[in-house]
Amino acid sequence: MTASTLENEKGTTRRSFIKNISLAGAGLVVGLPLTACVNASQPNKSQTALIPNALLQITHDNIINFYLPRSEMGQGTYTGLTTIVAEELDVNPSKINVINAPVGDDYKNIEYGFQVTGGSNSIRTHFLPLRHLAANARLVIRQAAAQQLNVTLADVKTDNGSIVVNSKSLPYGEFVDRANTLDFPEHAALKDKSQFKYMGKNAPRLDGLAKSTGTAQFGIDVDFEGLHRAALKRCPVMGGKVKSFDDSAVRAMPGVKSVVKIHNGVAVIADHYYQAKNALVNLKVEWDLPETLAAFSSDSTASDNGKALFKTALDSNESSNAYEQGGGFEALKNAGKVIEAQYWAPYLAHATMEPMNCTVKLTGKHLELWVGSQAPDFAKLTAAYYADVPKGNVTVNSTFLGGGFGRRVNNDFVAEAAAIAKASGLPVQLVWSREDDMKNDCYRPASMVKFSVGLNSEGLIDSWMVKRAGPQIMPYVMDDIVDGLMPGFLPNRMVDGLSKAGYSLYKSLLVDHASVEGLYEDYDAPHKSADHVTADPGLPVGNWRSVGHSYSGFFKESMMDEIAARQNKDAVEYRLKHLKGNPKLANTLTVAAEKAGWNKPLPKGHYHGVATHASFHSFVTQIAEVSVTNNQLHIHNVVCVVDCGLAVNPDIVKAQMESGIIYGLSAALHGEITLQKGEVVQSNFHDYPALRINESPNIEVFIVESDDAPTGVGEPGLPPIAAAVANGIFAATGKRLRSLPLKLEG
Amino acid sequence: MISFVLNGQTVQVSAAPDTPLLWVIRDHLKLKGSKFGCGMGLCGACSMLVDGDSTRTCVLPLAAVAGRNVTTIEGIGNPDMLSTLQSAWVEASVPQCGYCQSGQLVSATALLSKNSNPSDEEIDNAMSGNICRCGTYPKIKNAIKQAAMDLQKGGGRLQAVAYFDPATSNSEL
Repeated sequence: MTASTLENEKGTTRRSFIKNISLAGAGLVVGLPLTACVNASQPNKSQTALIPNALLQITHDNIINFYLPRSEMGQGTYTGLTTIVAEELDVNPSKINVINAPVGDDYKNIEYGFQVTGGSNSIRTHFLPLRHLAANARLVIRQAAAQQLNVTLADVKTDNGSIVVNSKSLPYGEFVDRANTLDFPEHAALKDKSQFKYMGKNAPRLDGLAKSTGTAQFGIDVDFEGLHRAALKRCPVMGGKVKSFDDSAVRAMPGVKSVVKIHNGVAVIADHYYQAKNALVNLKVEWDLPETLAAFSSDSTASDNGKALFKTALDSNESSNAYEQGGGFEALKNAGKVIEAQYWAPYLAHATMEPMNCTVKLTGKHLELWVGSQAPDFAKLTAAYYADVPKGNVTVNSTFLGGGFGRRVNNDFVAEAAAIAKASGLPVQLVWSREDDMKNDCYRPASMVKFSVGLNSEGLIDSWMVKRAGPQIMPYVMDDIVDGLMPGFLPNRMVDGLSKAGYSLYKSLLVDHASVEGLYEDYDAPHKSADHVTADPGLPVGNWRSVGHSYSGFFKESMMDEIAARQNKDAVEYRLKHLKGNPKLANTLTVAAEKAGWNKPLPKGHYHGVATHASFHSFVTQIAEVSVTNNQLHIHNVVCVVDCGLAVNPDIVKAQMESGIIYGLSAALHGEITLQKGEVVQSNFHDYPALRINESPNIEVFIVESDDAPTGVGEPGLPPIAAAVANGIFAATGKRLRSLPLKLEG
Repeated sequence: MISFVLNGQTVQVSAAPDTPLLWVIRDHLKLKGSKFGCGMGLCGACSMLVDGDSTRTCVLPLAAVAGRNVTTIEGIGNPDMLSTLQSAWVEASVPQCGYCQSGQLVSATALLSKNSNPSDEEIDNAMSGNICRCGTYPKIKNAIKQAAMDLQKGGGRLQAVAYFDPATSNSEL
C-alpha cells in the first residue's frame, strides 16, 4: 500500500482544499505581512516568510508556525494535525510552533462550512490537505536550495527542518527568500507509508508540558488590568424571562460594581468572582416561566407527562420515516417469529471540568472576545449580535478548552457575556458556577425506542424495525446560531420568529439524522425501517459526545444481544452472521473475541458482555468482564478493538478509546438528568456523579493495523460500552436492563 | 491582612478572611494553574498542598491557612524545571483537556511524599477525590507508578522549584 492509495481512497485533492479553505490565489506571498485573515497578534508578521496559505508559515529565521484550525479540547487534534504537517515537511513535530487560528474563512471545517470542531472529523478531513500543503512547501524549499547551492534537485535532501546537501545541513529559513521567487508547486509526491518518521509512531502530546505545569491557558485563566467578573442569576426553568427584580440588598455588597438585566437573567458584576457569586444570593428576581417546560416532571405518572410523554408518542401512529430498505415495516408480517423490546436513555449533562465562561472587552463599537469554543465563528457572530456591534469589529482569541464533548459548540454563554458587557459598559469575564453549568446545559436528548425484529426460519434477522421517540437536536442548534447568522438589520422579534420556524419545521416534518443514527445501519437484514417521532418537553438539547450514537449504541447492541440470547445463540457468532456487509466491524469483533478470550474460562463469577458499533467512520468492539455480587456490579476489565484507519499517533488513539469508555461508563452507571416542574434537579457532582479512578476498570486497547486513511477517534469509543456492560450483567444475572443508567435493584 | 507561605515565600493578602483560598490564589495573587471546578470540594480541580496534604481550596477560607504552607502546581515545578511526577506525566501524555491535571498532580505529589511505593488500591484511595471527565485515570496510574520507580532509583524530586518540602512540613511547623 502506498501513500497515493491513501490519497485515492479519500478523494480530496489539494485543489478542492484550496478552493474550500485556503487563501484565494494561494502560493507564495512575497514580503507581505500576514493578511487580514490572520490574527493581528501573530508573531513575525513583518518578516519575510514563506506563507503557502493561512495555515502554514516558515519564517526567515526558521520559525515554523502552524495555525491550528480546529479546537483542542483533549481529543489530541493539536498533536495530531501538527504531526501530519510535520511528516510531509520533514521536521520533528515538537519543532513546530502551534498557534490557535483566529476566526477566518480559511479555517472553516471543510465538511461543515463553519469553523466548528466536532463529529470526530478533524484528522479525517485534514489528513490529505495538510499533507499536500506541507509536501509542496518542502518541495519549493528544496527547489530554492538547489538553485541557491547550485546542485541538482535530486541532491537536495531534508532532515528535521533542514536542507541537507553533501552532508552539510542548513535550516529551511535560509531558503525562504529564494523560495518566494518560485512558483508554488501543487503536485509534490506524498511520502509512502514506509517512509513515515512521525505518523503511526507514538510520541508525547505536544500540549502535555503546558498541561502538566498549570501553564496551559484556558478561557477561565484570561485576565488583564481592569477586568471585572460577572455571575448571572437565570430562571430556574430554562427559557424563563425576568419579570422584575430587586437589587437593593446587592448594590452595597463588597466589590459589587454593577447589576444589569439581560435577555435571560440578572447579572452582578464585581471586582472578583466570589464577590459576584455571593451577591447573587441577595438578588431577588421574579420570573415569567416557560409554560410547556414548567409543566414537565420526570417522575410524573400523568399520561402526558414524565416518561409517558415519550411512551405515548412511541405507541402513536404518528412518525416520520428516516430510512427504509426492502419491504420496510410491512415485511414484519411475513416473519416466522417477532422479537420486540423497548429501551430508554435519559437526558444527560456534559459536565466539562471547566465550567462555561467567556471574557468580553467592549471598546466603543469594537469587541474583543476570549473563549474556549468548538465554534469560534459562531461565538463571533453571537457576540456581535448581543453587544450590537458590526460583525467585522469582533476579534476572537481562542484558548484551550477544559473539555468540550459537544457542549462548547453552543454559544449561550458567549451571548450572556456579550450582553453583560454591553449593558454594564465594563470589561467582564462571565464565570458559570458548577450549578449553573449542570442546570443550563444543552442536554443529550432523552430517548425511548421500540424494536420489532422479525426472524426467518433459521433464526436470522429478516426485518429490523425501530422507532425512536424524543427531542431533536437540530431545532435547538438553529435557535442557538440563528441570532448570529441573520443580518444585523432584522429586528430581534423577527430573528426569534425565524428560529421558532425552524423548530416547528423539525417538529412535524423533518428527521434530524442524529435522532436515529446508529439504530439500524450496522447489521445485515433484507428489510429495514427506522422511524422517528418527536416527543419534547422543551428542555434545550445539543450535541453530547457521539450524539445519537450515545444512546443508539446501547439500544441496538442490547437488542442484538437479546435476540441472540432468546435463541440461545452465541452473542459473537450471531453478530458475525449479520456482519457480512460490514467487514471492518466484523474484524474488530473477531479480534476482540480473541483478545478477551471469549468462551474461554473466566475467574469464578466473572462474565463477558460484548458490543460492537460503527460511528464517525470508525469501527469499535468492546468486551467487558463483569461480576455481580449482592447486587453490586464490578467491571474488572474492558477489551477494546478499534479500526480507525492509519493511527496518526497510536498512543492518542488509545487514550481516546479509554476516554470514550470512561465518559460512557459515567453515563452508563450514574448519569441521569431529571426535571421537577421544568427545573433540572441535579446541581453538582454529588447528584450527577462522574466516574472516579477507583471505579475505572482496567482497559486494554488494540488498534487494527490499517493502510487506509485515518478516521476519527474522539467519539467512537463511547457508543458500545453501556451495552457491553449491560450484556455482561445479563450473562451474570439473567436480568436484561433496558434503561440507563443501569440499576441492578428495582 | 492574612499571611501565609505560598510556594516557599511569605505573602500577605487583604481579601476578606472567608474568601475561598482558590480565589485568593487565582484572582488576587494571579496564579492561574489551580482550577475552579465545582465550588463544593467534590472534584479536586482546585487542589493545593496545605502543609503537605492535598486540600480542596474552593471551600477552604483564607483564614484557615494563616501561617501555614501552601503549595500550588506552580510551586511543584515549571516547564523548565519539572518534578519527577510532571516528567512522568509529560512522557506518558497523561493530560487530555488538561483542566483537572494541576489538581491530579497535587494529589499525586501528596501521595508519593507519604508513600514511596503505592499499590493500585492506595493510588485509588489517594486519587479518588480528583475527577477527570476525559478519563485519564489509566494513564495517571501508570505515570504515578513510573514516577515512584524513578524516585526510588534516586535523582528524582517531588518538588522541582519550591523551597518547601511537603514530606517534612509537619515537623517544621
